[in-house]
Amino acid sequence: MGRDLALLIPEIAVLLTAVGALIAEMLRRPRISLAVAVIGLLVATGLTLRLLGTDTTVFGGSFRIDALSIWAKLILLPATVLSMLLARVDVRGSAREGTVYSLLIFATLGALVLAGAGDTMFLVLGTLLTGLATFALVAYPDTDPATEAAMKFFVFASVTTSIMIFGLSYWFGASGSTLIADLPGMDTMPMAVILGFVAVVVGLGYKASLVPFHFWAPDAYEGGPLSIAAYLSVVPKVGALFALTQVVRDLPPETGWTAVIAGLAVLSMTYGYLAALVQDNVIRLLAYSSIAQSGYFLLGIVAVGSSELALPSIILFAAAYAAMNLGAFAVAAATGRTLNDFDGLGRARPIMGIAMVIFLLSLVGIPPLAGFVGKFMLFAAAIDVQFTWLAIIAIVNSVLSLAVYLRIVVPMYRTAEKTTISPGTWPGIVVMITFAATLIIGLAAQIFLAGLAT
Amino acid sequence: MLPLVSLTLFLPLAGAVLILCLPKPTARTVHGIAIVSAALTLVGALAMWLQGVSGEGFSQVEELEWMPAIGAAYRVGVDGISLPLVLLSAVLFLVALIYASSLRDRPRAYVALVLLLETTAIGTFTALDGILFYVFFEVSLVSMYFMIAGWGHEDRQRAALMFFIYTLLGSLPLLLAILGLYLGSPDPTFDMRAWIAHPPLEGAAAMWALIAMLITFAVKIPAVPLHTWLPAAHVQAPTVGSVILAGIMLKFGTYGLVRFALQMTPDAFREAGIVVLFFGVVSAIYGAFAALAQTDLKRLVAYTSVNHMGYVIVGVAAAALTLDPAVRATALDGAVLQMFSHGLVTGALFFLVGMIQERAQTREMSEFGGLLKTVPLLGWLFVLAAFASLGLPGLAHFPAEFQIFLATLGTTPIAVIVILGIAIIAGTFLKALRETFLGEPRERWNKMPDLSPREILAVAPLLVLTVATGVAPSWVLDIIHRTTSVLVL
Repeated sequence: MGRDLALLIPEIAVLLTAVGALIAEMLRRPRISLAVAVIGLLVATGLTLRLLGTDTTVFGGSFRIDALSIWAKLILLPATVLSMLLARVDVRGSAREGTVYSLLIFATLGALVLAGAGDTMFLVLGTLLTGLATFALVAYPDTDPATEAAMKFFVFASVTTSIMIFGLSYWFGASGSTLIADLPGMDTMPMAVILGFVAVVVGLGYKASLVPFHFWAPDAYEGGPLSIAAYLSVVPKVGALFALTQVVRDLPPETGWTAVIAGLAVLSMTYGYLAALVQDNVIRLLAYSSIAQSGYFLLGIVAVGSSELALPSIILFAAAYAAMNLGAFAVAAATGRTLNDFDGLGRARPIMGIAMVIFLLSLVGIPPLAGFVGKFMLFAAAIDVQFTWLAIIAIVNSVLSLAVYLRIVVPMYRTAEKTTISPGTWPGIVVMITFAATLIIGLAAQIFLAGLAT
Repeated sequence: MLPLVSLTLFLPLAGAVLILCLPKPTARTVHGIAIVSAALTLVGALAMWLQGVSGEGFSQVEELEWMPAIGAAYRVGVDGISLPLVLLSAVLFLVALIYASSLRDRPRAYVALVLLLETTAIGTFTALDGILFYVFFEVSLVSMYFMIAGWGHEDRQRAALMFFIYTLLGSLPLLLAILGLYLGSPDPTFDMRAWIAHPPLEGAAAMWALIAMLITFAVKIPAVPLHTWLPAAHVQAPTVGSVILAGIMLKFGTYGLVRFALQMTPDAFREAGIVVLFFGVVSAIYGAFAALAQTDLKRLVAYTSVNHMGYVIVGVAAAALTLDPAVRATALDGAVLQMFSHGLVTGALFFLVGMIQERAQTREMSEFGGLLKTVPLLGWLFVLAAFASLGLPGLAHFPAEFQIFLATLGTTPIAVIVILGIAIIAGTFLKALRETFLGEPRERWNKMPDLSPREILAVAPLLVLTVATGVAPSWVLDIIHRTTSVLVL
């Protein structure tokens, strides 16, 4: 018990931070609430570092302390801090500002629960925890589009989560246990296995905005505050994808789950980029792009259990994705929501322009940036398990993605006669941090790989 | 002992960073720093040249840990195939920066892009690690895209986009091939030396990898039918962009063809050699005919590149097909020397065309006439470069093409019909010279100024080297031959 709690110290710290931020808000001290939130999450990140290399489970195997859950903390906690700094601009001075920070932390806690799930009940718990917090966040502005987006999000989430719970009941019935590690025991009932798996994919696929469970994403991103869109595109998504990885680690390959994942990968990548190609709203464009990027994660998930490259590739790409995607959203936060707002950005504010170009090229996967190393490893993992055709489709989609992202880059270097609004300090700082991260992850991927090799 | 290769490789990048870090530098300072760093790079390349290569394997190898977890490292070095290309890059970038020193439209970004391109070019030729090679190969694309999109002519956005998408689509198959080679190695590594010493793939896997590589390099070279981006990009690119694109970046393709396709999947290449040869012949002849049909000087030069690169493909294919090491050495000597010569000659031609365009704002040959009388220096230099390009003995292309034809005759005599290309290119240039430079001078061009010292400095070194290579090719061939004569496939 004592050992188990010691291993869970980071999660406990996150929970306490959320409570602390809420208390500060109750006292009407939003600034203190923000400070508590930021410091608490950074402390939790620091507390995680000493766990690196641990691979064990706690509470009878229901929660896993392994590479996935540790790196989820190292990636998602800083990402949450950055989202909070962005959110500060959106919600500053509004009533109940501090609840936003508190809700962000609760949602992150949900994502962490998902990433370490060793028990199907944790899948449900994590999904609900992230879900409830994020509905409120999307609805926060209290405008018609925001309410509509939150409503859509809520209905969609309720249905998919119910399906997941329904499917999980089959697994429970077949294996007599809620532990994911016990799943191989039910190979006598292949139908139950695959039914349950499809249901889990529905539940987690909505969270990760995989096609065809993505319909809520563009509306929610567009309707809610920009910072929340940035947050939704990174934290809950990575949490859900890590949860999916945890699930498939123990599934016997003969159930055919790899085919399901590969199919979803193709759909997500292709549909995401094709839809992004026709958007004029940068937020919707980035929303569809993040749908497509989820598809890339699946290349690594396909290889889980059969290739040593699978876990490192997923984690590395998650770190890269968090940095570059948050960065792109931060630039959008400092610039505007339509493509026209980007006219002449590169000339008016050269550093912001260069940063955006780097983020977008990294999303395409151009070396030596973070996105390249991540995708490279994902391709290698997929090829390693004989999914070369999937890697080829991913590569073709990378070319398509270039066309998508250049739609933002091209107007940036047009000559435009317009006075640009000066951005706040926070988006600028977030841009700088993510910019540095995108370069460092690209050039010094070894740091991650070495940490993962153990 | 100085790490010469790394110094040469990163000097331009250091110059670019310095330029970007200076607060509000004047255009003069920017160009000054750029020229100095390019000149130092040339000194580095010359020092590498003096060190020479040792025949078998790679020389001057420098190695640093990078990602040991997956067997990737920073590894650079040269052999007789890459060293001439490194020297060519150093020379061409220096003269390109000299030529660009009159630029006043956002010089900082422009010069930084050129210097970044120089690092990627030298990096592509010296990389001995699969990932490192790919990194340089791709970054060059990005810098060239911004160069065309930012400083090109009227329709630049479209041309830049086409260039980027085309070549990115082209280069991604290489990524697959690299992954294949990596996963196929008994002890997974990205060390290109290991891949060359013991080709990791065989049978169908090797053939697929070869096909992927051939697609990549055929786009880059460019070989017919994947060449359509080239005229569009050249016509819209700024002069320096065209010089670098034709002079250096096309060599990425032919260099890759030798280094990757030929050396890492030799057996598959031998099987597919006849197909590659066919595409080489078609490229050479098609390029020549297409050049003949052009009325725009720049497009004309662009298509002659397709023709000249076609000969390189023929040479490499002949080297793969033959079983006689002596013939193979001749074929590869010719192919590598052809890359070197083409860089010099086509670089000079694009500079001269750029100078004409700057003066006249047009490149239509029919608008000119008698330029030899109005601008004699420009005219005669163009004549010299044109003769070099059509393969006149005593100038750079002759020894190269001669060896390629010789080797082809020794392996697949039928392919010698490619020699027709020479006649057509001769016709093309003679027609261009007649329309543009001969005849009665037109009144509207009477005030056209002749070359300025800056322009002479840009072109003259290239033409001096062209003559030197033509008259005494041994100074380059010795280095090339040292590697090709011991190449085991």
